[in-house]
Amino acid sequence: MDISGKSYKAFLKRQEALKKQYSEKQAEKQHSKGKLTAQERINLLFDPGTFEEIDTFVTPADQPVEFGKVERTYGDGVIVGYGKVNGRLIFAYAQDFTIMGGSLGAVHSQKIAKIQEMALKMGSPIIGMMDSGGARIQEGVASLSGYASIFQNIIHSSGIIPQISVIMGPAAGGAVYSPALTDFVFMVNHTSYMFVTGPNVVREVLNEEVTFDELGGAKVHACKSGVAHMIYDDEENTIMALKKFLTYLPSNNVENPPFVPEDNSTPDINDKLRDIVPDDPNKPYDVKDVINLIVDRNSFFETAELYAPNIVTGLARIKGKTIGIVANQPKVLAGVLDIDSSTKGARFIRFCDAFNIPIITLEDVPGFLPGVDQEHAGIIRNGAKLLFAYSEATVPRITVILRKAYGGAFIVMNCKKLGGDFSFAWPTAEIAVMGPDGAVAILYRKELAESSNPAELKKELVKKYRDKIANPFIADESGYIDEVIDPAVTRKKIISALQALSNKWVKVPSRKHGNMPL
Amino acid sequence: MKIKKILIANRGEIAIRIIRTAKQMKIRTVVVRAAVEPNAMYLEYADEIYDYSEELPEIPVFLDIEKIIEIALNTGADAIHPGYGFLAENAYFANKCLENKLIFIGPDPDSIYKMGNKTIARKIALANGIPVASGSEGNISNIEEAITLADKIGYPVIIKAASGGGGRGMRIVRKAEDMEKFFIIASKEAEKAFKDPSVFIERYIENPKHIEFQILGDKFGNVIHLGERECSIQRKHQKLLEEAPSSALNSDLRQKMGATAVKIAKAVDYYSAGTVEFLLDSDNNFYFMEMNTRIQVEHPVTELVTGIDLIQQQIQIANGNTLNIKQEDINLKGWAIECRINAEDVQAGFAPDPGKIENLSMPAGPDIRVDTGITVGSSIISSYDSMIAKLIVKGKDRKDAIKNCKMALDKVWIKGTKTTLPFFRMLVRNQKFLEGTFTTAFIEKDIEKYYLNSEYEEMLAAWLATKMFVEENLEENSIQVDFENGKEMSPWLMNKRMNQF
Amino acid sequence: MSTLQIKKLYTLSSENRKFCFTLPLRNKIRIGKRDYVVSLKSDEKYGTYILWKNRKYPVEIIRSRQNSYEILFNDISYTFTVETPFSMKRMKVLNATKKKVEQESVKAPMPGKLIDVCVREGAVVQRGEPVVILEAMKMQNEIQSPVSGTVTRILVKPNANVMKDDLLVEIKVD
Repeated sequence: MDISGKSYKAFLKRQEALKKQYSEKQAEKQHSKGKLTAQERINLLFDPGTFEEIDTFVTPADQPVEFGKVERTYGDGVIVGYGKVNGRLIFAYAQDFTIMGGSLGAVHSQKIAKIQEMALKMGSPIIGMMDSGGARIQEGVASLSGYASIFQNIIHSSGIIPQISVIMGPAAGGAVYSPALTDFVFMVNHTSYMFVTGPNVVREVLNEEVTFDELGGAKVHACKSGVAHMIYDDEENTIMALKKFLTYLPSNNVENPPFVPEDNSTPDINDKLRDIVPDDPNKPYDVKDVINLIVDRNSFFETAELYAPNIVTGLARIKGKTIGIVANQPKVLAGVLDIDSSTKGARFIRFCDAFNIPIITLEDVPGFLPGVDQEHAGIIRNGAKLLFAYSEATVPRITVILRKAYGGAFIVMNCKKLGGDFSFAWPTAEIAVMGPDGAVAILYRKELAESSNPAELKKELVKKYRDKIANPFIADESGYIDEVIDPAVTRKKIISALQALSNKWVKVPSRKHGNMPL
Repeated sequence: MKIKKILIANRGEIAIRIIRTAKQMKIRTVVVRAAVEPNAMYLEYADEIYDYSEELPEIPVFLDIEKIIEIALNTGADAIHPGYGFLAENAYFANKCLENKLIFIGPDPDSIYKMGNKTIARKIALANGIPVASGSEGNISNIEEAITLADKIGYPVIIKAASGGGGRGMRIVRKAEDMEKFFIIASKEAEKAFKDPSVFIERYIENPKHIEFQILGDKFGNVIHLGERECSIQRKHQKLLEEAPSSALNSDLRQKMGATAVKIAKAVDYYSAGTVEFLLDSDNNFYFMEMNTRIQVEHPVTELVTGIDLIQQQIQIANGNTLNIKQEDINLKGWAIECRINAEDVQAGFAPDPGKIENLSMPAGPDIRVDTGITVGSSIISSYDSMIAKLIVKGKDRKDAIKNCKMALDKVWIKGTKTTLPFFRMLVRNQKFLEGTFTTAFIEKDIEKYYLNSEYEEMLAAWLATKMFVEENLEENSIQVDFENGKEMSPWLMNKRMNQF
Repeated sequence: MSTLQIKKLYTLSSENRKFCFTLPLRNKIRIGKRDYVVSLKSDEKYGTYILWKNRKYPVEIIRSRQNSYEILFNDISYTFTVETPFSMKRMKVLNATKKKVEQESVKAPMPGKLIDVCVREGAVVQRGEPVVILEAMKMQNEIQSPVSGTVTRILVKPNANVMKDDLLVEIKVD
């Protein structure tokens, strides 16, 4: 081909026009809001030089729309493509706020839908980086139906390929359901928002004053609503964390998660584990101290850290293989199960189950949270989600009872009869129908009422109950748990158990799907 | 010797310290293994261990009078050494020992009681013409009385717990408006700590030095003093560094204060080792503050400058021996400094920082003495005090001692908890400390930063943070992920999984 | 497409001192005109330490969260945030628009048992006034108000066991 020829010149001209479209000025505007441009985000995510953009020059049709005018730009405000992240094929799209506010029109949505379908065909994870004003008003119903096709694709791919959303700007109205449907949502503090109806509508309809940040900022979604799983202070940290997170995930539900060779710096037997759980059963401790000593050094990646912190969930590795951790957190509300922690745990377990990630449960739970609020808000139906999720999961499931395992909560937290594969208990474990105080009050109601010194008698009975019933040995001797272990060998025991379970297969009865109590 | 076997009703470094002397005196020792630290270092030194680790009592065994007596009787001990803290200044306990024909290594219960109750001690001091800060005759019963009296003696005043010690239940009041608040706090704290809410008021001596005299007395009325200790480096009445002697005293003042110390001890027929605490103001006026009727944490500095083993003296006196040292035999030689290396976070205002000691290496040498009950693997637990070790350093004079101290501090290596080391590293370079002109207000008022970090330390720490960040996030090979591995699996699993979908 | 290669990192201390490191990170630190080799080591006897100018300094990474690192260096803890040139810029942009802190929370500086809550909800407190008394290691510690303001929320009751960093009291700044 003659590079000074007509066809090549036309090619160059178009390239030039594209470059102009992404001008310095546009980038500067984006930077001044503390945000990166879509290209910069893509560049940060992918290994250098591996990203291939598709549909770069797709342009919205030059036809009259219902209302106003649509800018005719190359790409229509979204970059879609594929490339390698840490050497693995990943599909991605990134909305470009500098073009019509990243609004979603028909062409924009077709591009996203196309890349979604490709990701599903290849069995590769897909990342969506969102920074969009919402549906493109000018295109009316065409943009709404665009959303629908994106949602439909997400739901189709759900549980087959990992789907992750990264909110890096506004996401309002219908647009919020796209991240809500995906497996994990990352948000950037201060510069990203999500809400179904914005502050203006809230003001008009309800006469309530609320700022963008208060209504749908990253913190709100991370702490209160549970919509966002991971939040970071800036986009670079968000993307770096996302890259790290991806190293835990398999490409699809047929493969196993990737392997990260371990440097053997984590001791398999660690007597520090003996010192964490206090002798006083009412004293709190941080279960993350236990987690960090059991998993490969520095490998614990906590998910939804700020939401329902009375349960800790996260991915980690043991001997280089990804596992999921579900742990009661005695440090917060004594690790009690409530509505939020049940749903948080349930969703995480289902994710792990879908993507062949074994689940390790660390149990120290005094029970379900009592109270009118909880009962009326449906702790029964929400607690059932956790029960359902555990019972349904066919991946290897190992439980370590660290301390309390009382009543319904013991059943729910992956007990053996619920299909748990291995159940270990530390000598500090207390497995019983209820805690000593409650049990004594019921069992010895009469005696306590008649006693001249009820406080003293109660103390005595509580001690007796603790010695006789609330310990792991009865459960061990009757086979309801597998073994009472020295805390120091916990990691070693889990490693052996995981090895034994590596080929676990459970035949699931054929059905369309179970009916989880949603 | 009547004493053949001593039960040590204490733990940690002081238990080891007592065992050391007992061994030299060929006396057997018994210690108690408590559930909260069943593998503590002091257990290795004793001749006998009474195992009490099966029980998890509500109060530490070292505070359980009945239990301690029972252990002593069961193990055939003929004497009990209470160490410091716990039951060391409990008159009831000392009396219980006597009732059970056990020798209490310490003073008579009556002396403990008199000196333990500060209002009584004050009255005794006044009756014997010993200078005390002006204040209330006895306890103050209500806020109104407190305000009236404070107006009379003038602000600032200090509220003290009658049964107090160690700084608890003490509050300084600078203006009448604050009286109500602090009065309530002080008596609440006193009630909680000493089961006695009564408090009294004294004029608060501004910026004094805390000087204390070590005394020894026998059961035959002989009392001598072993010179002073300078304990002005303290924070919220918790001593951090002690010296012997003090640069604030000349031999005249030493003699005067020493004689006063002996006088007050004699007034309560004191025997055993004890400490008389004084406040010394900038005009060299001194005021009796209180008497501690036990061996002190900081006793080693006196031992280093006098060459006298105080624990040995305590045991001999308890045994009924006559004091074998005369006042004129006491002759202070050289200078000694003790640094209390505690598991505390200097940056968080000396907040306790419990934890497990992972690495520990202490300096050694002819001028260095280390008293510790902690070793690698020991835990500093929140039920006990936060002491890791006492580093005691000697020199031919103060300058020499500080120089040796500086070198010794750089050789201390402790990992696992934060410690008071950065504070001492700062202190030995502080001008005011070097001059010796500091007062008890030194930490609160005279220093800006509680710790020392040399010029480049922060930069090195920043380098480490950056290195961690780079390794975790930016290095190409920071995480070696083997994605292919996920595709390999046994045909068993592969076939079944494929068939499912 | 513009690439975004990170060439420099800014490491900021909590006291706002700034250290700049060029990438790739060298194991040398320049003082004046000379480079000094710095290395991170670990052994059985000393644990982890940094060796610099023939001297060992004990180090510990207390915690790391995102780009924030708390490091114990020679018994002194430092908190750093590691920023890229872009995130530095972003910080400046956001700081310019950020409002003043209105709510201050008092957290437990250490684990312990709460002895007393000295204030009530709605009480006006001065800076330095004790708000709760926490007992840890035989010591009663007054936890003082970091600001002057009004107590809006008390999250704890006397005799409660608290963990380090547990929220105790919230105070609205005047």
